[in-house]
Amino acid sequence: MSTIASFGFWSFVGIVAGIYTLFALGVQVQFGYAGLLNFGQVAFMGIGAYTMAILVVKEDLNMWLAAGCGIVLAILAALLLGLPTLRLRADYFAITTIAFSEILRYVATNEDRLTGGSQGTINLAGIGQASQYDGAWQSFLGKVERNLHVGSDAAMLILVWTVALLAVAAVTLLMRTPWGRVLKSIREDEDAATSLGKNVFLYKLQALALGAALGALAGVFYAWQFSFFSPDDFAPLITFFAWMIVILGGLGRAWTVPVGAVVFGVIFAGTRFFDFPPFSLLDSTERAYVRLIVIGLVIIGLMLFRPQGIFGSRKEMVLE
Amino acid sequence: MSTAILEVQDVVRRFGGLRAVDEASFHADEGSITALIGPNGAGKSTLFNVISGFLSAERGTVQFEGRRIDRAPAHRIAQRGLVRTFQVPRALTRMSVLDNVLLAATRHPGERLNELVLHPGRARSRERRARERAAELLALFRLDTHAGEYAGVLSGGQRKLLDFARVLMAEPRLVLLDEPMAGVNPALGRQLVEHVLRLRTETGMTFLFVEHDLDIVMEASDRVIVMNEGHVIATATPAEIRSDQRVVDAYQGTARAK
Repeated sequence: MSTIASFGFWSFVGIVAGIYTLFALGVQVQFGYAGLLNFGQVAFMGIGAYTMAILVVKEDLNMWLAAGCGIVLAILAALLLGLPTLRLRADYFAITTIAFSEILRYVATNEDRLTGGSQGTINLAGIGQASQYDGAWQSFLGKVERNLHVGSDAAMLILVWTVALLAVAAVTLLMRTPWGRVLKSIREDEDAATSLGKNVFLYKLQALALGAALGALAGVFYAWQFSFFSPDDFAPLITFFAWMIVILGGLGRAWTVPVGAVVFGVIFAGTRFFDFPPFSLLDSTERAYVRLIVIGLVIIGLMLFRPQGIFGSRKEMVLE
Repeated sequence: MSTAILEVQDVVRRFGGLRAVDEASFHADEGSITALIGPNGAGKSTLFNVISGFLSAERGTVQFEGRRIDRAPAHRIAQRGLVRTFQVPRALTRMSVLDNVLLAATRHPGERLNELVLHPGRARSRERRARERAAELLALFRLDTHAGEYAGVLSGGQRKLLDFARVLMAEPRLVLLDEPMAGVNPALGRQLVEHVLRLRTETGMTFLFVEHDLDIVMEASDRVIVMNEGHVIATATPAEIRSDQRVVDAYQGTARAK
């Protein structure tokens, strides 16, 4: 059977879209609702994935507990990042976030003893001892498969999307509360919010931390899905994928994120099937770059013809 | 006898070498309507920003209801009941008109994550009360028919009214209005003046406003504070101000400079 029609392939695309939904939902909270330009979201994904893997392999910690620690650590990292930088002007904050994510990636690459270094998590327990952190996850997945009478791809698909959609629902409800109202007012006009007695800094910090927690949750699923990862999996490009998803779907609405993630996933995976001219003139590694070009063109096209995203409101876009 | 609700003493604020506010002192009595006037560049806006906490004072003190606020952050000053407006109304354009007003609700437990989780009932009942009050205010300023629309579709005049409704929602005891009549047609200006006068009589609210339109100043204020080149050069009743030579000089000086 060709790849284009295989369930295995498309369920993989679906799983990745689910993980990216969680990941990009963090950016939606931070930027779409609170107006924060976080270009370092991938750092929180990395913190979630690495903390979980390290604690399972090195400390023999329970997998769920380790995953919880990953999320808590990402929240702490967000507070640490936000405390000195959230008082900066929006553009300076943006620069610091990208530096933050790159610093963490370089640390992960060079601190071999902690992270396994550039060889990735396979090297976590030291050279010559191939280590695995996802044993407990695989057996949990096995249980789900037997209970639901589905294959492992389908079980993962169901788990990831259940968590992703619950997170989307939770964010949607949260943004309808007075707390969410303050967040939106900060996006609109910080000074106005301040003049009405809102502690803008504190709300920004909370938005950054909530987005970080979602990023770390995505990181934990990422680690379980791929069984192996290295610092290069957390390059800045991944953060921009989240931004593309949020812009594709539409800003300021949580439910547009899963739609953006699926569209993004299909475009990303779909470019794999460009085996007709002129693409057939390229070899497969070159074709892998074509997908980035296609995604870039889609974003440019969107900005030109539908700047509000697929589901964003044009009316909202033109208000001043 | 009335007491001072706001006391500004020897406030200094520089921008580079320029002393935008230079040892300015004045006070505003509780329940009064005080106008702050002066030629462009006199330091009125800077002083407003210092009082409301948007800029820090380098020297001097600001007291509100007997407590120092010159070191307090701006949001804390607003929470204490000193609420300001801006020259250009700051409508939150991609939020509904109703949400714009609801945002100003004070001591709202629903704005805190821990309260939302631990005491959702409190947050709900506060929100219900806030909605009732917001509906009253929107009706008062004839914005009720626009409640569900984006604030961004309102006209300039309507935004001015929305700003006003929002300030009142914040339950202030002292309101700082930065050029409330700028860019407002005479009919709306009339309305705003009447709102201010009525609120002062009905609720004892205190107003301090910066204004260039001297007719409005004469009509609406009890006391006038005149600033020039960062200094407070005169404090008097509106009637006295007209004949004060220093005031005439300050204004004519800039008239000549132009």
